[in-house]
Amino acid sequence: MGKMEDLANIVGKEHIKTDKEILESFKTSLNFISGEVPECVVEPQNLEDVQNLVRLANEKGFGLIPCSSKGNHIKGDTVPSVSGAVIVDLSTMNKIIRIDKRNKVAMVEPGVTFEELQAEVEEQGLRIEMPMLPRNGKSVLASLLDREPTTCPKYNWDAIDPLCCLELIFGTGDMFRTGNAVGPGTLEEQWAAGQAQKVSMGPAQTELSRVIQGSQGTMGIATWATIKLEQKPKIRQGYIVGGETMDALIPFVYKMLWRKLPDVCLILNRVDLAAIYGCDQKDLPAWSVVYSISGLEYLPEERLSYIRKDIEELAEKFQVKPVQHLNGISADKLVDIITKPCGETYWKHKPKGGCLDLFFLTSLEKTPEFITILENEVEEQGLPKENLGVYIQPIRHGTGCHLEFNLMYGPKQKTKAKALFGSASQKCLDMGGFFSRPHGSWADMVYKKCPDTVRVLKKVKHIFDPKGIMNPGKLCFGKEV
Amino acid sequence: MSNLAELKRDMEGCSRCSHCKWVPMAQIKSWRYAKVCPSVDKFNFHMYSGGGKMIAANSILEERSEITDTFADIVYACQLCGACQVSCQAYRDDIDLSDVLLQLRAKCVQEAYVLPEHLEVIDSMKREDNTLGMQKRDRGNWAEGLDIPNINKQKVDVLFHVGCQFSYDEELRETVRSWAKFLKDQGVDIGIAGKDEACCGGRAFEIGYQGEMKNFAEDMTSRVKASGAKLIVTPCSDCYYTFKYLYPKNGIDLGVKVLHTTEYVDSLIKNGSLQLRNKVPMKVTYHDPCHLGRRGEIYKAGWEGDNKLFRPVRFKQNGCLGIYDPPRDIIKSIPGVELIEMERIREYSWCCGAGGGVYEAFPEFAKWTAAERIEEAKSTGAEAIVTACPWCERVFNDTIEENGEDIKILDMMDLLTLSLGGK
Amino acid sequence: MEKLSKEMYKELENVLGKENVSQEPALLDGYAWQPALNVTNQKWISRPIAAVLPKTPEEVQKIIKLCIKYNVKMKPHSTGWAAWGGPSEDGMLMVDLRRMNRIIELNEKDKYAVVEPYVCCSQLQAEAMKKGLTCHIIGAGPNTSALASATAAWGYGGSGLSTGFSGRNLLGVEWVMPDGEILRIGSPGCDSGWFSGDGPGPGLRGIMRGFAGTQGSLGVFTKCAVKLFPYYAIKEPKVKGVLYNVRAEVTKTEKLFAVVAPSFKTYADFTYKFGTSEIGHTIQRAPFGAFLHTMVPRATEKFTGNKSLRAMGKAFQNMGMLSLSSESEREVEFQEKVLREIVRETRCILIDISKTPAFKFLWMMNHRSIPTALTFRAGGDFTTSYGSPVEYDNAMLQAKVAQKVKQKYIDNDVFFDDFSDIGWGAINEGTATWGHCEIAAMYDRRDGKADERFQYLAESAETTVEYKMGVGLSNQAPGAWKIYGPQLYNYHLWQARIKKEFDPHLIGDEEFYVPSIDEIDEIMAEEKK
Repeated sequence: MGKMEDLANIVGKEHIKTDKEILESFKTSLNFISGEVPECVVEPQNLEDVQNLVRLANEKGFGLIPCSSKGNHIKGDTVPSVSGAVIVDLSTMNKIIRIDKRNKVAMVEPGVTFEELQAEVEEQGLRIEMPMLPRNGKSVLASLLDREPTTCPKYNWDAIDPLCCLELIFGTGDMFRTGNAVGPGTLEEQWAAGQAQKVSMGPAQTELSRVIQGSQGTMGIATWATIKLEQKPKIRQGYIVGGETMDALIPFVYKMLWRKLPDVCLILNRVDLAAIYGCDQKDLPAWSVVYSISGLEYLPEERLSYIRKDIEELAEKFQVKPVQHLNGISADKLVDIITKPCGETYWKHKPKGGCLDLFFLTSLEKTPEFITILENEVEEQGLPKENLGVYIQPIRHGTGCHLEFNLMYGPKQKTKAKALFGSASQKCLDMGGFFSRPHGSWADMVYKKCPDTVRVLKKVKHIFDPKGIMNPGKLCFGKEV
Repeated sequence: MSNLAELKRDMEGCSRCSHCKWVPMAQIKSWRYAKVCPSVDKFNFHMYSGGGKMIAANSILEERSEITDTFADIVYACQLCGACQVSCQAYRDDIDLSDVLLQLRAKCVQEAYVLPEHLEVIDSMKREDNTLGMQKRDRGNWAEGLDIPNINKQKVDVLFHVGCQFSYDEELRETVRSWAKFLKDQGVDIGIAGKDEACCGGRAFEIGYQGEMKNFAEDMTSRVKASGAKLIVTPCSDCYYTFKYLYPKNGIDLGVKVLHTTEYVDSLIKNGSLQLRNKVPMKVTYHDPCHLGRRGEIYKAGWEGDNKLFRPVRFKQNGCLGIYDPPRDIIKSIPGVELIEMERIREYSWCCGAGGGVYEAFPEFAKWTAAERIEEAKSTGAEAIVTACPWCERVFNDTIEENGEDIKILDMMDLLTLSLGGK
Repeated sequence: MEKLSKEMYKELENVLGKENVSQEPALLDGYAWQPALNVTNQKWISRPIAAVLPKTPEEVQKIIKLCIKYNVKMKPHSTGWAAWGGPSEDGMLMVDLRRMNRIIELNEKDKYAVVEPYVCCSQLQAEAMKKGLTCHIIGAGPNTSALASATAAWGYGGSGLSTGFSGRNLLGVEWVMPDGEILRIGSPGCDSGWFSGDGPGPGLRGIMRGFAGTQGSLGVFTKCAVKLFPYYAIKEPKVKGVLYNVRAEVTKTEKLFAVVAPSFKTYADFTYKFGTSEIGHTIQRAPFGAFLHTMVPRATEKFTGNKSLRAMGKAFQNMGMLSLSSESEREVEFQEKVLREIVRETRCILIDISKTPAFKFLWMMNHRSIPTALTFRAGGDFTTSYGSPVEYDNAMLQAKVAQKVKQKYIDNDVFFDDFSDIGWGAINEGTATWGHCEIAAMYDRRDGKADERFQYLAESAETTVEYKMGVGLSNQAPGAWKIYGPQLYNYHLWQARIKKEFDPHLIGDEEFYVPSIDEIDEIMAEEKK
């Protein structure tokens, strides 16, 4: 039997896409990663389909590339590195399986998007810990598996958060459940006993959610994930603290995080702030700390009031000025925008049409050094500095931060932007930026720096995907299936 | 005193929590000064700790292993400072760790695993009545010209017992003479035994020759009786410990009260008969001698029973009744002196390094231990370490000299002398 | 007694220096006495063949390479408390990490510390406090290694509400692997500092440990960065006394309360509301019976003999102790208001301990997680069970089920009578409301009733499965994978494959992990027979 026939036997003919246009769309990503055209796109409908697909790939020796989000892909992990690969499009597995209000956790299939989930959880008085303004069609599960930073550092205890448990098919074709979803008991029995699959640790001496996270589809395919939720505030106020330098802003943010006062807490430069809010850059301060404070179920007004007063005192000490309105920007509205998924047009593409994201982890304290490097690079490449957006997201209570440069470019600036992206990435890496999510061209660059990690990752790959069928050629793994 | 086998339940009670290696948990104030056991801190293998030695002792009792030279070295590389027992008994009611350490040494001696340096000590004690290899006839030289009554010639109220180290250590001579003069000046009816003073015998007990102590104790008892004294005052913490703990624990009753000189001075200050008026502008820190502090705690007699789990807490020898406040109160009563405490003080003080026969057998280890304490003292910014034991003073002085440290070692008397107008 | 080959001994001496290698039998027995959580009926555990004291990761690496060369298994430990800290079979080399004892970095701004194995939690906390920070201290107590519980062991800590969970607080890790290679996990592997532990790409922390660690089966962890957490009280505490006599100076923005709920259900309700409302610094179950039994074991035994008194005490089994803490008086006032509102709503009783003389004592006990070793006061030993990381409703189910199971054994004098209370556990990580309920049981192991205690542990495992209570402490007993593995998607086989890949020469003690995949089939076949 031919491969296509085998695939059809598993998912049904109607769930196999071979239209040239669709296939071609997978060949490149918006950050200029290009690869091979996949042989087809298949749409499994359930766990069994996924398991059969993985078994078939093992048997016949072809690559599988899991893909959960809808729309244009950006980072390149779904661009096939080898020919003959099959895209496993999970976007049609899009059930919200369960929302547990008491335990504040949701269980979702891969195709569920942030828009869809947010609507559901808000009805229950909850909210999602979400990346800032995820693009339209972004899969919740894909975001969790990519370890994307979220906007409220105080709820972010560990790098894996808010991902909890996974159901998945390993590259070997075996099904598994991670964390306390493993049992004993079926999911229904666990729910009846008060469990909600919220703990990623385990079973026993492993935490395989953590291994799957960041693996860009190279270890297996997840068929659902649980996500930690938070209570939706009863009332919320947004604030902006502007500054022409970050000198006073960084200590202020450190102190606020130490006190665990703000919910949303991030820093934007004027380029990103303008792009997000849709206003003119020139009216804005060079840097803005954006944060929100909230009143919860008990005594919400009083909570808001004491936090506001405490922050005012801190602000005075650090000589900064939190305001609710800044040159036409309403902080409430701004917080509202950044805690929702993006509309039709991705915010990063609005100003110039294109955008390359250069991001890595570092210490909040070190961000100015990297920013200087990027500003110099932009100048050297002859790009206007109005093209360089900066987004700083403290993570894990402030034990580090996600530093993201958004290199916005117009149609004529593509080449320069591309060159800038390459050279600046290398410079940031050399300066100690930690590229924990090595997408696309970063993989070679980053793994060259840590041969010991590569050696060990290959052992892990050998355990969970010994035949190398899962997204071949990504990260530090070979292309041979 | 019970023998090693009778302490088997204590040994088996060890849960290996390792609290015996640390300052009691609530008192840990820094990374640097968190450890409390010199032995395991220097040599590191678990057997060097209090708990480790209990396990090793149990191993011997169960004939899982035998005493060897290495074993004995480990047993003796310990100052018997008692810090392990304090940290252990903070939690445990049923383990008398220090007793196990003492009995383990007795066991080594029984099986003829002894250290040559300790044999010399015992020889000297037997021949010359002192631990230091000095001649008996020179014992009273320290008091020449002081005109202190000799108890062999007249009855006195207070017997001033100075101990081996103060008797012979020429560098400490002025200190002990000052003590005697001071007491005399205060109108105390004191007497000394002069060349007839003998070792208290505590050191022999500590290094495992438990029977040897008996002779010295009997000698001491008869001397006290003959003197007519109602009180013994001693400036030596080692002797103090022997009188307050080892004697009663082994059924020996001196028949009189025993005070350390610091206790005596403190009582003089508190009842108003001594006023220290001269200002001494000095920052000092106080080192608690183990044998005056936690080990100087009076023997808590009165409980008999097999299962120590049922022993009331007040009978635990946990160091809480050691002599900690009198020396501090004296220092505080001297105008101008600023007392800055180290991190490890009172029950959980770090040892000077000299005790338990360590200075005799492992001088380098003793000085290493002392150096650790000196560093801690220096970290307070103090100009001087004040202490109340000639053994501590000896090892501190030697270490300071060897390492070229810039800090003074003062006996409490030295500090008092400054305030009393002396030099 | 079996000895190391002369050649290996010599090579170890060359690497470490003579003073740091020993095969003195009694000294080795120092490593063969591990009564705590020793689930065998043997007094002694296996004696190592020799013991070594490395100082650097490179020395550890050389030791491992020698183990491979001479085919000798090894067991590392840090502070080394409990049975998994010692070798599980004769002939193993004991690697005592005591000499690796530095705090390499304490980063005040980014709130983490890089520590070596023999830094105990008290030391780390004392240094962190000076910078307005504190660390997670596992229940075993502040005398334990901060690195061990985060990397290789496990541990739930009483301040988990504000300081998370041992294994989840890890950032960068330095790991000498069983094949003799050194790996730095996360950012230190890329020379980017210690602040991050996951990536590049997959999170290798998930191989290194899960809820539990591999207890030395997968090599030696020589450095790790752990998260530190805000601490608002006095920076250089003034504390007097030892244990029961401790009196600490406490700032007025510190508060301590006891809360008593009428039932497991209301206790759970209270806890969910407490966590979700984002108030509180710590919360911890402190049932009256268990509390009494650790503080005054002998008096408690007299107390429990009287049925009416016992019933009165039992009425307080759903008691918890919680603290509020802030730099700001305003914040503490607000938190107290909310606390009182929740107490009113859930019909609990609230006692303000801050206003009692016990405050200065209990505050310090709570802050430094000091009392745990008191569980040894009753009879010198305790065992523990249940305690899976679960949503708190399920944790309370564990309490309910376990008290019945434990009571039977109390009735038969296998355990001391602590009212069959459940002494340990609460929610972790602020609003997350997942937590822990660990069932400690105290006994005197000199009583010769080890078999009955096995029976209890087996029953705890059976009820864990029957009532669907998650895989926790009951799964840590040696060989527990045989029971749990087949029921839980054969997780043990994945671990066994990891074991094979990572420890190809099988030098790591597998007792508290799993054997290599090559051996596991044989073992299972043998079990079936």
